[in-house]
Amino acid sequence: MAKLNDILSPFTAWKHVVREPVTIKDPLNREAADRYRGFHKNDISECIGCGTCESICQNAAIDLVPVEGVDTKDGDSGLRPRVDYGRCCWCGLCVDVCTTNSLSLSNEYTWVDEDPDSFRFVPGAENKSWDNREKGYKKPGNGYELYNPKREAMEELEPEKRDQSFIEIVQGYSKEQAEQEADRCVECGICVATCPAHMGIPEYIKAIRNDDLNEGLRVLYDTNPLPEICGRICTHKCETVCSVGHHGDPLSIRWLKRYIADQNPAEEYKKILNTENLQPTGKKVAIIGSGPSGLSAAHYLALMGYQCTIYEKLPAAGGMMRFGIPEYRLPYEQLDKDINYILSLGVEIKYNVTIGKDITLEELHNQYDAVFSGTGLHMGRSTRVPGTDHPKVYQAVDLLRDIVLGKEVPVEENIVVIGGGNVAMDITRSLARLQKQKYGKVGVLATSLESEDIMPADREEVIEAREENAVIDPGWGPVEIETEGDKLKGLHVVKCVSVFDENRRFAPKFDEEQKKFFPADMVVESIGQGMDLSYLPEAFKEQLDMDQRGRILVNDDFQTSAGWLFAGGDIIQGPDVIHGIANGHKAAMGIDKYLSEK
Amino acid sequence: MQTIIENLQKHFQVVSYHQQRENLGFLIASKEVAVGLITHLRDYEGFAHLVLLTAVDWIEDEHFQLTYLLHHPEKKVDLGVRVMISRENPEMYSIHHLWEQARTYQRELREMFGINFPGSPDVDKPFILEGWEEIPPYRRDFDTKEYSEKTYFPRPGRETHDPAEYMKKKLYPNE
Repeated sequence: MAKLNDILSPFTAWKHVVREPVTIKDPLNREAADRYRGFHKNDISECIGCGTCESICQNAAIDLVPVEGVDTKDGDSGLRPRVDYGRCCWCGLCVDVCTTNSLSLSNEYTWVDEDPDSFRFVPGAENKSWDNREKGYKKPGNGYELYNPKREAMEELEPEKRDQSFIEIVQGYSKEQAEQEADRCVECGICVATCPAHMGIPEYIKAIRNDDLNEGLRVLYDTNPLPEICGRICTHKCETVCSVGHHGDPLSIRWLKRYIADQNPAEEYKKILNTENLQPTGKKVAIIGSGPSGLSAAHYLALMGYQCTIYEKLPAAGGMMRFGIPEYRLPYEQLDKDINYILSLGVEIKYNVTIGKDITLEELHNQYDAVFSGTGLHMGRSTRVPGTDHPKVYQAVDLLRDIVLGKEVPVEENIVVIGGGNVAMDITRSLARLQKQKYGKVGVLATSLESEDIMPADREEVIEAREENAVIDPGWGPVEIETEGDKLKGLHVVKCVSVFDENRRFAPKFDEEQKKFFPADMVVESIGQGMDLSYLPEAFKEQLDMDQRGRILVNDDFQTSAGWLFAGGDIIQGPDVIHGIANGHKAAMGIDKYLSEK
Repeated sequence: MQTIIENLQKHFQVVSYHQQRENLGFLIASKEVAVGLITHLRDYEGFAHLVLLTAVDWIEDEHFQLTYLLHHPEKKVDLGVRVMISRENPEMYSIHHLWEQARTYQRELREMFGINFPGSPDVDKPFILEGWEEIPPYRRDFDTKEYSEKTYFPRPGRETHDPAEYMKKKLYPNE
């Protein structure tokens, strides 16, 4: 017989009815731990769509997709990551590798929906309730990066050792340094669009990592036949958009390019690049000017079997690369390495020949199937302030050219340079060296309209100029050069308060109250260069399509309206070496198209 | 903690000791002395509890690192014993006779890393992978992404873009 208690005891449970349950009624309302890894958040205004999250994802859970309202532009692919939560395992590697730190994980982990496709969305672009949640998982910060944010330091000659000579300053990477630096690259390829030549940057950096420098050289020559040169003096726009640069130093792309070129011996180039046997087409192309665009055009035309002849006004090849850029930045030996390889492909250079004087453009047109002109900007512009007609006022480009030609260059004890671009820094630093040789001390000052923060020169140029004891005093507008007979006394300037108007047009404004006087025995103007198109006969010029500012108009193939005449380099786009190279390459393909259809 | 280590060094060869926190330290012992040392820690030093047994694949150095994490309930301190075993012949003496639960850890390590513990009960029985015959998935040379792509088919409608190619199409389509 059952005891009474046995019958009643189930009912004793009823006494718990009013107690607070120890279990949780609705688990969906329980918040996860503070650093729980839940659904992604992405600050899409910070994100640049570099795709490293996609590359690292071990489950292939991330796609990069275009997002409305996000434009593709320099440094931003316009793509954003879309996560497929059917595959995500919440490991957080995508967060750890994110170059902009835009991606993070919220601690939200519960979400119910009947439609499986809703578990595939673009965090940050499709609003979710956890978007503003602080808790979750973020990149842990310093010391936990999956790539090294610090750049391999480049060895440089100390200022005391370099300011008397024109020896190259930058020493170049060792194998170990180059591989360390290359290892920082996340291979996103964001830089490729910004490089005017669209070089295969991630591919050649990868070749360094794989220690396959022959392959690296092949990648370089696909788009750039002057790698020794660009590896030294390129304006490296690519580095300004490097994704690693968002939270660290950008990759040293320029020095890595130089490393590849330096390590490949010149005598093996033809074998490595497979250019020992080129098939001639029997067609001939004349090229005016042996600067970067002319050399680049000649190189790619030679590969396609065209017989190229370059007409050069000066006694050596290279254009501005030889006659504008000082040797301490670009040694002639390295310049010649690139040029000699192009010549080895059968390209001929006729030196000391001026078009319009020694041979006419018409003659070139008659003797060749096509003509490419890359004559550059070699005429210095003047500020035209009173006193600029004095014989002690010089143009930077003329002096730089004379230094290379080995001519006697005037070097006074006190020199003022007007200009804040790279050419101004080149002449300032060159004159500083010559002063040091002549007087044992430096007495050169450079001044520009632009204030320090908007000076067009590369930052390192300004820093190095100062290290070499040149004075850089930016933010002043020249008013007058004071002269007394054949003597020059100095430069009067007033404060420049702004250079551009609201439409970014050149419209300098001055504060006449703030004045300064820079005493000098010699003034060098370096405010830009103009083109000399006097080799184009007047009658021909009238037929040619040109813009209002007197520049030749070209189509996408860098072909002028004359058909047989192509043009590129600084007279069309730039001014810089890499645009010239890109123009020359495109013009070569344009010439090939033109001559194949002809 | 320091006295425990000093005591230990009288009996065993301890390769290195690293105090990570006040109540947590790690030492490295050779494969041959490890089981004896752990037994000593349990029976004479009071590390009565085996917290976990786990492994790390140091593929570059060609060895696996086993970590036996032991807890001292009275002193409230943890001591990790690390043992390096060759990757080529990944085998370790079993400790299931010291702690019954060690057999489960050892079965897991057998399956996920391919580290054998001869004599450990059921060590060859499938743990969670059910008929897995490829390389153990916790080894670093296991290609997670390749496996994932091979095994899990993408949901229809997925598409992706390479940033460099996409930028080319958008910014300079004619080149």
